[in-house]
Amino acid sequence: MLSLLLQPINITSFLWVIGIVAVIAIVFAALIVLVSKLCYVKEDEKAKAISENLAGANCGGCGYAGCSDFAKALSEGKASISDCGATDNESKQKIADILGIPFSASAETFAVVKCAGGINAKNKFEYIGNKGCENQILVMGGAKLCKDGCLGDGSCAAACTNDGISIVDGVPVTDKVLCTSCGACIKKCPKNLIELIPKTAVVYVACSSKCKGKEVMNACSVGCIGCGLCAKNCPQGAITMVENLPVIDYSKCSGCKVCISKCPRKTIKEL
Amino acid sequence: MAEFIMIIVSAVFINNFVVVQFLGICPFLGVSKDFKSALGMGLAVTFVMTITCLITYPIYTFILVPLEIQYMEIIVFIFIIASIVQMIEMALKKFSPTLYNAMGIYLPLITTNCAVLGVAELVIDSAQIASLIGIEVAAMNMGFAVLYGLFAGLGFTVAIVLMSGMREKVSRLPLNKHLKGFPIAMIIACFIAMAFYVFALI
Repeated sequence: MLSLLLQPINITSFLWVIGIVAVIAIVFAALIVLVSKLCYVKEDEKAKAISENLAGANCGGCGYAGCSDFAKALSEGKASISDCGATDNESKQKIADILGIPFSASAETFAVVKCAGGINAKNKFEYIGNKGCENQILVMGGAKLCKDGCLGDGSCAAACTNDGISIVDGVPVTDKVLCTSCGACIKKCPKNLIELIPKTAVVYVACSSKCKGKEVMNACSVGCIGCGLCAKNCPQGAITMVENLPVIDYSKCSGCKVCISKCPRKTIKEL
Repeated sequence: MAEFIMIIVSAVFINNFVVVQFLGICPFLGVSKDFKSALGMGLAVTFVMTITCLITYPIYTFILVPLEIQYMEIIVFIFIIASIVQMIEMALKKFSPTLYNAMGIYLPLITTNCAVLGVAELVIDSAQIASLIGIEVAAMNMGFAVLYGLFAGLGFTVAIVLMSGMREKVSRLPLNKHLKGFPIAMIIACFIAMAFYVFALI
């Protein structure tokens, strides 16, 4: 190698090689230019402008492969802006302007888990098997005695794109600040326990069991027994009982927290 | 006909590009998490390998060899492959959006894939290919080169699809934290490589 370096360089053959390689390179460069001219595809300007205004979280909550895919669907009129939970209202308004459609800002929401069971709820059996709620539910509907109880395996926490869910005492707890309400956890929960509520909400019902009081008493120490005390005592009449469960109308709720103090099971929780 | 079978056996099994020659490991480990993308990647590599052989073989034989600058092969091949992949990508986008959606996203990944450069380097070595498929060196021509490229790509597809199938199954297992993901993928790759190594012993 060293002797090769010490040899006098033959400048002519050196230039000759550079010349040939350069010619091949130029030919291919010309071909690329030619092909790019021939195969020019018009980019969708609208989709590009939309994707600039989207949150860019690529969370997949809208059901599309990513923000650019969603932007394409929006520009083609196949999707609705409200499908995206992560984009703020100001940007959504801009997208609506680009698309030329009316847009009414919806209140900002975040996800809550409507179950507080966890260590308070009894198990039918001990589950030893593949991790993940979607696996556990295949075995007799999961280990919890309550058929609407959270399995606590944390599939929602794993699905969260923003690390906004942590498992505390066997149930997932969402973080109001970190939640972008993308809806990724809602799709993942096999028991449909997660719901979006307004960020201004003060209380929520931490139970999803539609069973009668006695069954709930047997299965869980914090489950709603459907007594209806909260509905009777709510000064605003914001709570109605539907299938043994209180349903809070957040547009009427004034945040007086009477329901929390009246609930004998502490199922209604403060946020 | 005998040569044809020898090409298949040699390129797909005995000298499989990924698990025997260890070329193109990056997409083999990177894009093998699920079956669908592994198949897309495999087909894209097959496509590019075939086209690469079709173009690099005549360029080497009719330009580099007569001018006696064979030692420039790597530099020339790299930019030939890169520009071919670019052109194919643009052409697919224009003429076949369906095919573009299926494998378009993998094409840029292949631009400087060593399996593709490897097949270009291998097929110009007439003596080696001839001994692999059992023909006279003088009988080597472009047809064999392109066929070898095609089946080397199919060998890549077989390996990456096997890998993705096993990784999909293994990802459902309750594994230890330190084994999960990449470490177990390396172990799976090892088993696949050992399985293919048996072909060389026959």
